[in-house]
Amino acid sequence: MKRLTAAVTACAMLLCSGCTSAQVVQSRKVRKEITLSWWGNDARNEYTLAAVQEFEALYPEIKVNCSYSEWSGYEARSRVRMISDTEADVMQVNFSWLSEYSPDGTGYYDLEQLDPDKLDLTVFTDNALSYGRMNGTLNAVPIAMNAQTVYINKTVYDSYGLALPETWDELFAAAKVMQKDGVYPISCGSKSMWLYLIAYAEQSSGRRFLDENGKLGFTKDDFQCMIEMYVRLIGENVTPQVEYYERLNLGDGTYAGTVAWVSDAVNYMGDAIANGYEIIPVNYTALTPERSGEGWYAKPATMYAVSKNTEHPEESALLLDFLLNSEEMAMLQGVEKGIPLSSAAREVLEGENMLQGVQYDASQKMESYEDLGEMQPLLENSALIDLFVEDCNKALYEKADAAAAAAEVYHAYREAG
Amino acid sequence: MKTAQEVDPGRVGRLRRYLILGYAGVVVVAIVFVSFLAIRTTDRVLKNKVSTMASALNVQMKLNLDSYLSRMETIGTLAFAIPESYTYDATAEGLDEYEALATEKEISDKLYSLCIMENFVDYGIVYRNNHTVGKISNGTVTQFGDRLFEDLHSMVSRQRTRDGWSAGYGDNFKRIYYVKEIHDNAILVISFYTTELESVFDNPEMLGDMRICLTDQAYRTLYASDGASALGTPLKDALMSRIQGHEQATVIDDEYLVTVNRCGDDWYVICSIPTRIILEEKNEMRLYILAAALIAAVLAVLLGAVISIKLSDSVTHMVTALDNKAHIDQLTGILNKRSFEEYTQTRLQSALVIEQHALILLDVDNFKGVNDTLGHAYGDEVLARIGSALRAVFSSDDFLGRIGGDEFCIFMNTAAPEGTDYRRFVEEKCRRLAETFRGMYTGDNKDYKISASIGIALFPECGQEFGTLYTCADKALYGSKAAGKDTYTFYDASMADAGTREADAT
Repeated sequence: MKRLTAAVTACAMLLCSGCTSAQVVQSRKVRKEITLSWWGNDARNEYTLAAVQEFEALYPEIKVNCSYSEWSGYEARSRVRMISDTEADVMQVNFSWLSEYSPDGTGYYDLEQLDPDKLDLTVFTDNALSYGRMNGTLNAVPIAMNAQTVYINKTVYDSYGLALPETWDELFAAAKVMQKDGVYPISCGSKSMWLYLIAYAEQSSGRRFLDENGKLGFTKDDFQCMIEMYVRLIGENVTPQVEYYERLNLGDGTYAGTVAWVSDAVNYMGDAIANGYEIIPVNYTALTPERSGEGWYAKPATMYAVSKNTEHPEESALLLDFLLNSEEMAMLQGVEKGIPLSSAAREVLEGENMLQGVQYDASQKMESYEDLGEMQPLLENSALIDLFVEDCNKALYEKADAAAAAAEVYHAYREAG
Repeated sequence: MKTAQEVDPGRVGRLRRYLILGYAGVVVVAIVFVSFLAIRTTDRVLKNKVSTMASALNVQMKLNLDSYLSRMETIGTLAFAIPESYTYDATAEGLDEYEALATEKEISDKLYSLCIMENFVDYGIVYRNNHTVGKISNGTVTQFGDRLFEDLHSMVSRQRTRDGWSAGYGDNFKRIYYVKEIHDNAILVISFYTTELESVFDNPEMLGDMRICLTDQAYRTLYASDGASALGTPLKDALMSRIQGHEQATVIDDEYLVTVNRCGDDWYVICSIPTRIILEEKNEMRLYILAAALIAAVLAVLLGAVISIKLSDSVTHMVTALDNKAHIDQLTGILNKRSFEEYTQTRLQSALVIEQHALILLDVDNFKGVNDTLGHAYGDEVLARIGSALRAVFSSDDFLGRIGGDEFCIFMNTAAPEGTDYRRFVEEKCRRLAETFRGMYTGDNKDYKISASIGIALFPECGQEFGTLYTCADKALYGSKAAGKDTYTFYDASMADAGTREADAT
């Protein structure tokens, strides 16, 4: 009986101990969060978001927070982020930002310090990587090469019995024919117009915008030449004012041509192609056909960099490699940013027969020029471009003469350069 | 040797089995009942808890969304911090083009600076002539075409604040629009991708099976946590039928747990999860409860069986003890007179005439002298020793009884060994008994010399009933007494007329 009592007591104690509240701890592995930033149009935003989802599926332990916007205003956002040390871990950067934020190579992460098993840089040529080197440090990897390109709506030109324009004079001549229908032979946004006019000025004066020492090579006269050319282009209906430039007009042939980046070929001309127009990337406009390419510049389309402050370099390397070299990203991106410089991505596109279309043709056109200048930050300074447009308007609306307007621009660039 | 009537073990065993089965039945029924109650209560509690948690999650999502939309509206309102934004009218006649361009540039720059950190697709002003200022994407311009102002303006749904939210324009559910009227000819538009709502509806990993979606007033999906493929599709009928018409509700049944909360602009945040997923643990818990009940039932039955056995053993012992007390002479440990007579009579009733038995009557000689000389305690001790002596001489099949103060009676059931005359067998027993008496108390060492006078009646020669046999044995005993005591005498016909001790006594 004593043993029975003991057994019953033991059972009761066991039950009682089971009834006491025990602490329950649920621990979960915390996902590492990194950020990715880029600028772009709808198409780029959509495929990049899709790529991020695929990346997260591939690496479920990593969460990628995205920050994106169209180009307009993005540069200012990027500046705020960079200055406030709140930049994304992996970021799409413009070529000119390297010299702005990392003149000595310390403004971005040294990509060659990342684990080569996670980021494969061997698929890039040394020449391609050289665009991302600052003071010997690899700060960024270029995605593709880019240059302003002249896209002409051959269908519209054919309808007027005009040959594809290769010179400035041919554009003025075309305007005379087309203006009765409100059609412009060519069109540009403000930055493209700025670079287009630089090509004209360089061809006219024979001076480079920047001399061999990287200093401003243009004189007041060169800026005056640009402003006068702008006023003339507007006045003779060769092109609409940059403020009134609407890409939609490319789709219906109201603009029979445009100047835009290689990387923007589909973005700008996609609607026109969809509407049955034949779009041709023509020779870069010049005083004479044989001088085509003179005064034109090329640069990496966009580049990827990693924040120097990143707390997750390994995860950033994985994401960077995915964006640059993965089959998934190559398939999603296609040639939207141009022909990939990554041989891995290019092989994917070749295998899928995706290296074709207007973007590819524009790339081929760009590569046909051997002597394109290398784009410099001063050429892409948005604030100065805005100032230039402002001064063009002063001349255009006769608020100032071209010389005075040019002087203002010249001094601003002189100061910046 | 029949010394007491034993408790019937078969009956006790049956009683014990009935007790165990009854107990087991009661325990099992009780446990089944308790388990049923526990499972029902667990179901109810679990459903209530899960419903409450899902409802809380939904409320949190709604608050997140309200907060997010409110922030967007605030950024929209900030456009009024730019005086030119509401004083300038691009549709006004007679504008100086140069001044207009400068003003628009100024407005644009300021608008950009206001939304610099936001993932907006659009943040700009559209005028009645479709002229735009600020950040208006090509996608939006393409989508709306020449109805840009008109259709954006039609999205104003709140008259007090002259603003509104809209999604699914042109069946494109990838963007969400917020519009706010600046003045009669201008409207501010903010748009962003619906993917931005991922941060709003960010769901804890452990609730990964919970589907969170945002619908418009027509229950078309504006956002779904399970992917963009659902955008624009109507809410599933199964969910719609459960929450349609409710502004804030939680519904749980066998198929779905659904919660709904109405947001500011007639949109609905709907969280849903198949019940089988959330109550998966309930089924597991039910298994645990049933397993625990089964174990408890087995343990209870085993415990009951042990206790029952222990109890019935105690009862058996107690009953046996009481039974013994009723049948046994406590002093000598052999049957008392009543029991002896009962057993013997019962045995004789079933005895066949071919059987051989003997009824032996024994009277202790001079026992009164023992009591008188050495006291009653000593006398009791002597009687106890006589009981032992009887047990030593006779077999366990024989009935031994104390039928008077110093009188004993033995009914022999034992058959004589083969080849042995039964009379000689009985005679031998009596002789051994007499010798034992002689050896026990010799008169030395301060004891008192006693002896036994024995009378024997044989069955069936002397009779077949107890009374007859007893009378015969008594007459034979009388013969032994008459012969000088300390001897044994078989009854024979010559004694028929002899007296008995009772008759003599009288």
